[in-house]
Amino acid sequence: MNDNKLKVKDFITIGIFTALIFVVEFACGMLGFIHPYIVASYVVLIPLVGSIPMMLFYTKVEKFGMLTIMSILIAIIMFVTGMGWLGAPLIIAAGLIADLIAKKGGYKSFKSTALSHGVFCLWICANYFPVIVTAKDYRKSLLDGGYSAEYCDALFRAINGKTIAILLALCFIFGVIGAFVGKAVVKKHFEKAGIV
Amino acid sequence: MIKIHLDPRTKLFMIFAVSFIVMVNAVSPMEWAVRIIVTLIPVFLLANEGRYVSALRFLLCYGAALLLLRFYISAESTGVISALLVGYCGIVAQFMPAMIMAWYVIHTTKIGEFMSAMQKMHIPDGISVSLAVVMRFFPTIKEEYLSINDAMKMRGISFAGGRITKMIEYRLVPLMFSCLNIGEELSAAAVTRGLGAPVRRTSPVQLRFKAADWLMIVVFAASMILFVISKYFR
Repeated sequence: MNDNKLKVKDFITIGIFTALIFVVEFACGMLGFIHPYIVASYVVLIPLVGSIPMMLFYTKVEKFGMLTIMSILIAIIMFVTGMGWLGAPLIIAAGLIADLIAKKGGYKSFKSTALSHGVFCLWICANYFPVIVTAKDYRKSLLDGGYSAEYCDALFRAINGKTIAILLALCFIFGVIGAFVGKAVVKKHFEKAGIV
Repeated sequence: MIKIHLDPRTKLFMIFAVSFIVMVNAVSPMEWAVRIIVTLIPVFLLANEGRYVSALRFLLCYGAALLLLRFYISAESTGVISALLVGYCGIVAQFMPAMIMAWYVIHTTKIGEFMSAMQKMHIPDGISVSLAVVMRFFPTIKEEYLSINDAMKMRGISFAGGRITKMIEYRLVPLMFSCLNIGEELSAAAVTRGLGAPVRRTSPVQLRFKAADWLMIVVFAASMILFVISKYFR
């Protein structure tokens, strides 16, 4: 891969991995309807599980723009599936910064890849934005929308202006940990098979 | 019955409108009415395309959720069963319209049409190609996942095993393998068709807005405006 510009093949790879990440996100998201605390634990679940495809993705493209395009796609999908646009700037910013960090390491050094994955995982917090920014309206709309008061109280105990900092930090930390997990899995399965 | 064939750009606008409407919670009866009408249109369009089974399935699912939400669940309901019901109805009532819409668009838009529409709207290649792949890929992932699931069941690796990490690993890794292979084929096919060539691509499909397109655009724009007005200006 001498050429640093993204080619059609890379766009297709980006599309595939975006779809995979979204499937992971969606599977975890479904759990959130069981109990609000699970909604808060997305920050642990998604980085850990999502890291497996992500780490493979890092080894597959290795060109600037891969994460930025992915984050734009995620923002579009989030909007289409009804998550709103409040989080879109955060998602795209996280993607861009993660891309820059990974570029610094030439997409080869594991240290910068791990850091970049940590930053990239911050997009998950974008899902909480409507909860925090419009807390009062959101609560009312949830109640009107048929959620029980119990669910709402627990949701807002877990996610509010104070805990968002912790959630963001957790996202980053588990993103970095996830990078190690994902790296191990990729090494175990893909490097032996000669795919990477 | 005449088949209604919509322009991909109209479909994109419809997706945009539905996502917008779904995002804002409906409270007053009028808002619910708008929402239900907006949900029924893609269901009707699905039936029009001859996909009666899926149209009916969506209709039943959505109807059941709405009825439950309306008559059974309130802010006072607690307990496990109602929590699960809230979950189900919450998902369905909240996201179903967008899902039906997305399902309709994915299953009725040919990829060539989509690309041509994207080109007409001057979306950069990077975004449109990746987006097209994402769109195409959800059904593929589901198919692959189901066959992997079968294989794993035969080996006795299922939810009952209790080893969650193994379960995730044994499903995600094969899924990634097959997705990568499919991706290779896909890019070979795309390159043969001249995707990525430094010229303007032509398309056999001539995209033009027809009466049905304008009708849909007007209906969805009107419902968006209605929604905003009843939400914020009263």
